[in-house]
Amino acid sequence: MSKKVLVVDDDPDVRSFVVTVLEENQYIPLIAQDGVEGLEKIEKEKPDLVILDVLMPRGSGIRLYHHLKTNDQFKKLPIIMFTGIALRSFLKSQKVLDEFKGAEVPKPDIYLEKPVDPEVLATAVRKKLG
Amino acid sequence: MEIKKLLFVTKFEDLCYDALNSLLELRKAALEHVVFLNVIERDKVAMKRGAGYLKEEEVKLKETANIRFIDWAENLFEMGMEVGAYIEVSTLIPEILKVIEKESPDLIVIGRSHKTTLEQLYSGSDVSELVRRTRIPILVFKHIAEDKIVPEKLFERPLLATNWSETGIRMVEYIKGMKNVIGEIHVIHVVKDSVLKSPNAHAVQKVRKSERKKLDTLCNELEDLGIKARSHVYVGDPQKEIEKAAKEYQASMIILGSSDKAAILERWVGSISKNIADDSVFPCLIIPGKK
Repeated sequence: MSKKVLVVDDDPDVRSFVVTVLEENQYIPLIAQDGVEGLEKIEKEKPDLVILDVLMPRGSGIRLYHHLKTNDQFKKLPIIMFTGIALRSFLKSQKVLDEFKGAEVPKPDIYLEKPVDPEVLATAVRKKLG
Repeated sequence: MEIKKLLFVTKFEDLCYDALNSLLELRKAALEHVVFLNVIERDKVAMKRGAGYLKEEEVKLKETANIRFIDWAENLFEMGMEVGAYIEVSTLIPEILKVIEKESPDLIVIGRSHKTTLEQLYSGSDVSELVRRTRIPILVFKHIAEDKIVPEKLFERPLLATNWSETGIRMVEYIKGMKNVIGEIHVIHVVKDSVLKSPNAHAVQKVRKSERKKLDTLCNELEDLGIKARSHVYVGDPQKEIEKAAKEYQASMIILGSSDKAAILERWVGSISKNIADDSVFPCLIIPGKK
């Protein structure tokens, strides 16, 4: 059975690019436009993987990542960060949030800085989902 | 009334990171979320004879804005703040209202009016249009110094201009929310010349005394919250006197109220808040009344 991948990104062009890559690789794409909708879809659709942008309206990927990784229900859900924000800033922000919330979230397994070639993205998804 | 989320509306030539940076002092109050908005005016990418819709120009402008926002967002994320961004081809005020609907900010920050003098004459300034259409306080940002450097401590010495209207209570509530960032507040009421027409010196002094007493009560209320406050009574044209007081006390910004009545009247005669917001060299925080 094909696996479901949720794409959380506010840019329609990026969503369209990722969806095309996923479909070509026989995955089922789901989409959300921001962090709030992303969390709703994760709870409702139970995707096998999330491809997550950072800078979005109505809830950033920074907060969503931290929320998912500190929540027992979702902490094992694989996430590929796919963003224009530098990894260094992402890691610093997670550290600050850890200090606020007394948690320690793991680094993302895969962090892709936009733009990437379709094959790089497909390889990353395959690596997580097989 | 706390300022947890602010909407930062920028065209980049008017408001840049230095302005944003001066607002980050509000983190000491309650600020935790900044939403950026860049509106690309339609005429920049609109149909041109023989060229059609300028899609390439739209992509270029959006990506330029995106690069700036990413850079700013990285700094804010590293501080542990939440950041969001909108880049839209649209018309400024309707787009701001749309984002307000989605994000519910506690403060809108906007640069000096984007319209030309002629456009303002016929349709009003962006600021007055925004004041008419939202109940959210608006900070109209300006560069005080000629060298366009933004004051680092925007909230250090605000001048609060009160006319004892119904918006006054809301202004005080709003200031209470900023108590951790305000250094010293100067509270001013301007008595109009017309009120002092009496030839009797005693009557004139009576007006001053009465106004001073009301101001002192307000200052006491603020000092009880830990905000250092000083009261001033000025006489004359309110717009000129408020500007004069702001200069005399080296204010870091002017805080004004704006009532519905003023918003309607200003279309015809111009209101003090609108005129100060449009013309003053000082950043102005306009607090609209309740609906």
